[in-house]
Amino acid sequence: MLSLTNCISKKSSLLWKPLTSGRLFSSLASYKYALRHSTFNDPTISLRRHPKAINFYKSQVRSFSSTLTTFHGHLNPPKPGEELHITFVLKDGEQKTFEVSEGDSLLDIAQAHNLDMEGACGGSCACSTCHVIVDPDYIDALPEPEDDENDMLDLAYGLTETSRLGCQVKMSKEVEGLRVALPAMTRNVSNNDFSNN
Amino acid sequence: MMPNFLRSLSTTCNNRDIQRKTISIVGSGPSGFYTAYRLLSKSKIPIKVTLWEKLPVPFGLSRYGVAPDHPEVKNCEETFTSIANEYQKDNGLHDFQFIGNRTIGKDIPLKDLIEKQDAVILSYGCMGDKKLNIPGEKDTNGVFSSRQFVNWYNGHPEYSTSKVFSNFDWSRIKNVGIIGNGNVALDIARVLLSNNIGELWDKTDISPLAMKCLNQAPIKNVKIIARRDFVHSKFTNKELRELWELERYGIFGSISKKYFQLGNLNISNLSRPMKRTAEMCYEYLKPFNERTKKSYKKYQPLVNVGETQRKTWELDYLKTPTSIKRDSNGNITALELFENNITEDNRVIPMKDHVINYDMDLLITSLGYEAKPMDEFKELGIQFEHGHIANVEGRVQNQEGIIVPGLYTAGWVKHGSKGVIAATMMDAFNVADGILADLETFPSKPSVEQDISFLADNKVEKVSWSDWESLNNYELLQGTNQGKVRAKVLTVPEMLAHKHQKPSY
Ligand SMILES: Cc1cc2nc3c(=O)[nH]c(=O)nc-3n(C[C@H](O)[C@H](O)[C@H](O)COP(=O)(O)OP(=O)(O)OC[C@H]3O[C@@H](n4cnc5c(N)ncnc54)[C@H](O)[C@@H]3O)c2cc1C
Ligand SMILES: NC(=O)c1ccc[n+]([C@@H]2O[C@H](COP(=O)([O-])OP(=O)(O)OC[C@H]3O[C@@H](n4cnc5c(N)ncnc54)[C@H](OP(=O)(O)O)[C@@H]3O)[C@@H](O)[C@H]2O)c1
Ligand code: FES
Repeated sequence: MLSLTNCISKKSSLLWKPLTSGRLFSSLASYKYALRHSTFNDPTISLRRHPKAINFYKSQVRSFSSTLTTFHGHLNPPKPGEELHITFVLKDGEQKTFEVSEGDSLLDIAQAHNLDMEGACGGSCACSTCHVIVDPDYIDALPEPEDDENDMLDLAYGLTETSRLGCQVKMSKEVEGLRVALPAMTRNVSNNDFSNN
Repeated sequence: MMPNFLRSLSTTCNNRDIQRKTISIVGSGPSGFYTAYRLLSKSKIPIKVTLWEKLPVPFGLSRYGVAPDHPEVKNCEETFTSIANEYQKDNGLHDFQFIGNRTIGKDIPLKDLIEKQDAVILSYGCMGDKKLNIPGEKDTNGVFSSRQFVNWYNGHPEYSTSKVFSNFDWSRIKNVGIIGNGNVALDIARVLLSNNIGELWDKTDISPLAMKCLNQAPIKNVKIIARRDFVHSKFTNKELRELWELERYGIFGSISKKYFQLGNLNISNLSRPMKRTAEMCYEYLKPFNERTKKSYKKYQPLVNVGETQRKTWELDYLKTPTSIKRDSNGNITALELFENNITEDNRVIPMKDHVINYDMDLLITSLGYEAKPMDEFKELGIQFEHGHIANVEGRVQNQEGIIVPGLYTAGWVKHGSKGVIAATMMDAFNVADGILADLETFPSKPSVEQDISFLADNKVEKVSWSDWESLNNYELLQGTNQGKVRAKVLTVPEMLAHKHQKPSY
């Protein structure tokens, strides 16, 4: 099992890239900060891409559902044998894994499953409300963000080294088992905030 | 009007006897609508939301601020529409109504809302202009604030037919100055510079009255003048990129070496967005063939344009406007400025012995919109300071700094005119979460009315959501007929007249 420290040291070698490389925001401190503020620092969670690990997720994740009846929105159910898997780490730490098809965008997947991802501009890369933090293990397997995605990421709240826009990231075999966290955008106020315990 | 006792009788019989907590939201821009959305989608207790809007049309700056060539930004309106449609049926846990063409604080006292509702949210945005307060700003022809100019080209009913714009002689406008370098300044620069590029505007919902005027202007140069230095530029990269990309039409940008040289910047200290801004400017200032990344070579620049067609824009820095010069007809001729120094701690020091003049025919002050208190605030003891409603995380404070129970604020009137729609949304969500926590805890006031739409029965037409939908369909249809996304109805009387005719489509 890869531990958090492994993740950091694995990534830290490619942290600083020159100005022209496209990935500009880099320092070990900011990366550690990013990790601290993402939900990946749960040491009990494995970050594997291996099929066994997916089964592990299936058994771990409270609300995993292997039936596809909950699909709505514009998603097509995956063809048998071609299912890909994605896990969302929600703002409260709960994880949800879904079977999806190649080409589905993370925004479409999240919205089809009523996850808290706004997509204010309807997926046209013009608002940054679909911000996700990608598990560092998968970030290099994703195609680099285009300029317009980076322009919007500039404005994303709680930006991290592995932040992406959910409307621009599409599922593919290369990222089978992908894990992304929804950043805690809003402070959750509840009655508890006002009571003494 | 229905007597009080009958009204309360009828509300308990309707609504399938659900007694809901009542919430009024003042202003239907992104902050008002996102607050409504969050309340309706998260509340576990039954609520009734009434969304009040001064204009006969909803959506605030999504409709009247966001540039016409950025239709994708307006997609948030789809979310707003879907919640209005979903919750106004009055047959579920919650209920929603939209009441347009009513200005709270004028047509209906805010005091009445506070008295008759469990919660009131002030989300009425920024309805004024920040000012330079320099001689000539108020009374010189050809000096406009960004809010006036944007409202005019976006067809806002208070400006769309304004004589100040239609009687202005656009045919002599060559040199333009814009003060401030926020995104609004860049929107305005783009509109002015590309005034004759039909393919950018013909399909948009830009006001045809404004476009006709703008088409006449032989614009040569737009100077975007900031008081601080390059690294404190306020625009964001998407907007800046759009300006650079206008080179494909023969519209070229520049920045004096005095203000921008990559070698002089301490790159490692810059924020991620500013690093990207610096890279973008460095690359676009190079000749096309010498650029390193393909993204800066997306469009071939139109180099062989005739002198008359070639236009330029310039990012200018470290200047404080001091006075506006004009001719005997009262038309602007020049702007006088001081050059500035900037201190380590980001303070601007104008150098009074470094005076310069820029000749110009049009000046737009794009300093930000200004929030205004309602007249009633004094009487109600509501604190308004530093350009916004005093509040603690959206809970409004009185003049002693104490929180006024049941009164909240969200969006631009809460914190001044900053933040893109995503930021406005997050702010609205936070405020709504606070309201829900309070509502679950606090008992209902005895003076609360389940349905307060009767407050709007006092004068001319109020506009319901279905009235708006019918106007919306009309605008969309007119748009389709004219080959555009939408053709906005430009005046309030026409909007209201349409409500009566309700033609069948
Ligand atoms: C020119 C411009 C362009 C912009 N472009 C973009 C962009 O491209 N992308 C982006 O993300 N953000 C953009 N923004 C920012 C975005 O518009 C704001 O974040 C957002 O609109 C703020 O929302 P609000 O609800 O607080 O204010 P507003 O949108 O101003 O809404 C306030 C509403 O209240 C109504 N109202 C006022 N007084 C009263 C009253 N007394 N009673 C009842 N109703 C009242 C008004 O008519 C209005 O409908 C732009 C802003 C401007 C100014
Ligand atoms: N496409 C988009 O995403 C988009 C488009 C439009 C607007 N918006 C958003 O809407 C918000 C408002 O935009 P905005 O452009 O109106 O405001 P802004 O970003 O606050 O810019 C205001 C500009 O005016 C300058 N200024 C203010 N007072 C001044 C004075 N007295 N003298 C000289 N200069 C002065 C400011 O300089 P200082 O920096 O020195 O104070 C700044 O350059 C922003 O958050 C913006 O991002 C977004
Ligand atoms: S949904 Fe708006 S940027 Fe992705």
